Amino acid sequence: MLAELVQHVVNGLIIGGGYALMGIGLTLIFGIMRVVNFAHGEFYMLGAFLLFSLFGTLGINFFVASFVAIAAVGVAGAVVERVILRPLRGQAMEIPMLATVALSVILQNAAILAWDPSPKTIRHPFSPIPIVLGPIHVVAIRIFAGVAAVALIIGSHLFIQRTRLGKAMRATFQDGEMARLVGVDVDRVYMATFSFGAALAGASGVLLGSVFWVYPAMGDQAAMKSFAVVIMGGLGDFLGAIAGGLLLGVAESLGAAYISSGYKDAIGFIVIILLLLFRPAGLFGRRDRLR
Amino acid sequence: MKRPGSATFVLAALAVIPLVLDDYYVHLLIMAGIFFLPVAGMNLLLAGGQLTLGHTAFFGIGAYTSGLLALHWGVSPLYGMVVAAALSALVGYLLGKVTLRLRGAYFVLVTIGFAEVIRLIATNWIDLTQGPLGLPGVPPFDLGLASFTLKSKRQYYYLILVLSTLAYALCARLLRSRFGRALVAVRQNESLAESVGVSAYRVTLVAMVVACALAGIGGSYYGHYTMFLSPEVFSFYNTVTMVVMVVGGGQATVAGPAVGALVFTFLPELLRMAVFYRMLLYGVILLLAVMFMPRGIVDALQRLRRRPSVPAPETTAPTLDVLVVGKASSVRGDTALRVQNVTVRFGGLTAVDEVTFALARSEILALIGPNGAGKTTVFNVVTGFLTPTAGRVLEDGGVDLTRLPPHEVCRQGLVRMFQKASVFPERTAIENVTIAGYRLGRAGFWAMVFDTPATRREEAELAMRARALLAFTGLANRAHEVAGNLSYGEQRLLALAIALAPGPSVLLLDEPAAGLNPAETQRMMALVQEIRRQGVSVLLVEHDMRMVMGVSDRIIVLNHGRKIAEGRPGDIQRDPEVIRAYLGSGETDARV
Repeated sequence: MLAELVQHVVNGLIIGGGYALMGIGLTLIFGIMRVVNFAHGEFYMLGAFLLFSLFGTLGINFFVASFVAIAAVGVAGAVVERVILRPLRGQAMEIPMLATVALSVILQNAAILAWDPSPKTIRHPFSPIPIVLGPIHVVAIRIFAGVAAVALIIGSHLFIQRTRLGKAMRATFQDGEMARLVGVDVDRVYMATFSFGAALAGASGVLLGSVFWVYPAMGDQAAMKSFAVVIMGGLGDFLGAIAGGLLLGVAESLGAAYISSGYKDAIGFIVIILLLLFRPAGLFGRRDRLR
Repeated sequence: MKRPGSATFVLAALAVIPLVLDDYYVHLLIMAGIFFLPVAGMNLLLAGGQLTLGHTAFFGIGAYTSGLLALHWGVSPLYGMVVAAALSALVGYLLGKVTLRLRGAYFVLVTIGFAEVIRLIATNWIDLTQGPLGLPGVPPFDLGLASFTLKSKRQYYYLILVLSTLAYALCARLLRSRFGRALVAVRQNESLAESVGVSAYRVTLVAMVVACALAGIGGSYYGHYTMFLSPEVFSFYNTVTMVVMVVGGGQATVAGPAVGALVFTFLPELLRMAVFYRMLLYGVILLLAVMFMPRGIVDALQRLRRRPSVPAPETTAPTLDVLVVGKASSVRGDTALRVQNVTVRFGGLTAVDEVTFALARSEILALIGPNGAGKTTVFNVVTGFLTPTAGRVLEDGGVDLTRLPPHEVCRQGLVRMFQKASVFPERTAIENVTIAGYRLGRAGFWAMVFDTPATRREEAELAMRARALLAFTGLANRAHEVAGNLSYGEQRLLALAIALAPGPSVLLLDEPAAGLNPAETQRMMALVQEIRRQGVSVLLVEHDMRMVMGVSDRIIVLNHGRKIAEGRPGDIQRDPEVIRAYLGSGETDARV
């Protein structure tokens, strides 16, 4: 009984690590650029497919291929920022948002053309035999995904806190105009932010894509999950995204096991709607009336 | 915007077109009509600044409601459609009640989540919906009796043409009414809208209910037209289609959703010849449209046409006989406003400390003090933008204003002018002042929809009052200029006219002379004195000492959130503590 519970929590935490990566990317992009990225799920999908091709088709070493896939998604993010989002800066919120919706349509359909719609698996080099850790069983790839997610989360945190670029990002987050005045190259910060956020989504795709299936529409559900994560954690809140991601992973895992697997994907939003009922001022009560 | 002639022409064309088209194109026109309904609703809500991406939920609720009623209980689709509209509106009301306090991206994301939850319910509640298999055999639409069942595509077309024309007229009326102006106000400057008596929450909630009812009607018709229900109606693809129609067509314009619904129904079909590349091309076209026509097709077309000639400046502006409306005519006491022991703490910082004062009827009272003394904080407390940590704010009749939201404070006759140039930037000066007269309107929702004679009279009065206020502030010849294009000084005068529009008995001016040149300051002073002469009490925060000393009856000095002096201008100028606060002393410097 208890062992089963622990098993579900562990599974939830591993998937939650992937959600947290997605959420961090989305929340940074929103916090700094004020853009809701509807193509976030497609960056996730792109990460998974690039790994599938580099490792599965071209036979490059799994870890090298993972790294290259993540970096490539980061580059794609930078290009998208420069070509699509930069010209739309200063428009009302829904305009760049709609541009990312269009981008998601483009990327998803391009993926259907490039890699047909059928679901694929990545034949990762880890043993399929579960490792027994006391009362629970976990396959090696899941442990790898969990550990890698934690490492990436810590790495992102250090990047934001310690590096010069990270500091410029935080300054822009607080007050873009002020940051510009004190000499921060805001254009560069925006590009770096979008690239970094996209790369994190790509990383999540690489990790969860190795555990589950890879298919062109896989980003739809992932995007939904990351929306739930960032609302729970607070838009623009780095630590909130981590907490929200892990919480959602565990809640889904427990919900699927003990309540209903059909409603698993709804749990995040049901939690949010319940929260809103009890905290009508907004989830975190930070909205002040004077804007 | 549109001459009645062109509307008649478009309608006539739409009535004739199906006679010359084959069924396939009639089908597309029907789909455009069906999608127009939810899209028109989204547009209404977007006019108030809230974008919903959960509108498929209401479309789907409508489809399932009347579809299931007809399928299982034999209810005529006509009545089913009414139930569908009512249920969608009810669910929309409940969702709006919970979520419309959220702004911007939060609202967008929560509505997406709501649609996702509804989709999962439709997928998993197998007993009711047969889940992903869907429900075939939904009866065709009829007009209440089986003998009036719609049979051909053309019949479906004409009924949806009637429905969407009605929806178009409804939305056009609403957008051009006092309600529509309030929505625009909320979108352009929410704080200012609240300060002139618009409840952002309430007007967007009404818009949400209308939007959801329209979506329910559209969904209901869709179900009976396709005769099949599946959870696919809730798919995010449908949401994308709707948002593309509303933004691509031209958001917050009257014609935008109709144009959008037509263009973006036909576009994907035209792309059919591209077979495999169809959706990819669709995405590319969408992206290009967003990048090069971010404000939509209707806006782009309007830009292409030469600008409509601006009405000539008015030579004979009406004069204003009553500045104050309503409450001030029933003056009760000598005191207009009482602030009692108000304290405001932000974390560890005490911004306002036990401040008490009273504003007499028809008095000009100035609140002065060095930067950071807490003057604007007092203003925010009085006007409901901030709830004090302790203390009370009372209006003359004893009404407690302390916990009222800004729009309620306005209803009690207190209106503020903001420190920064605060206008509705994308609207003309005259529209700005008309919007701000919101509180004086009495027409209810249905009176606005049916444009009753009383509503028209009221609109004419509001327009007249707006013109008079512009004349009063000296902006009559700038009436048709977009507010954002006015000079800074003119924007301040416009802000004053906006604050006067609700007919306040107490006017709160936050640094009205800031950034004005001496001539403009003189003019502002003369206006403030004239406003007082007409019976308005004025609470003034100001740094410009010429203005303060020139117009004030009494002055209160704040320093570090505390009241340090109160008296006539001459006395204040000689008060040693005031001089110390302004100039600093060795003692205070040492402490700092």
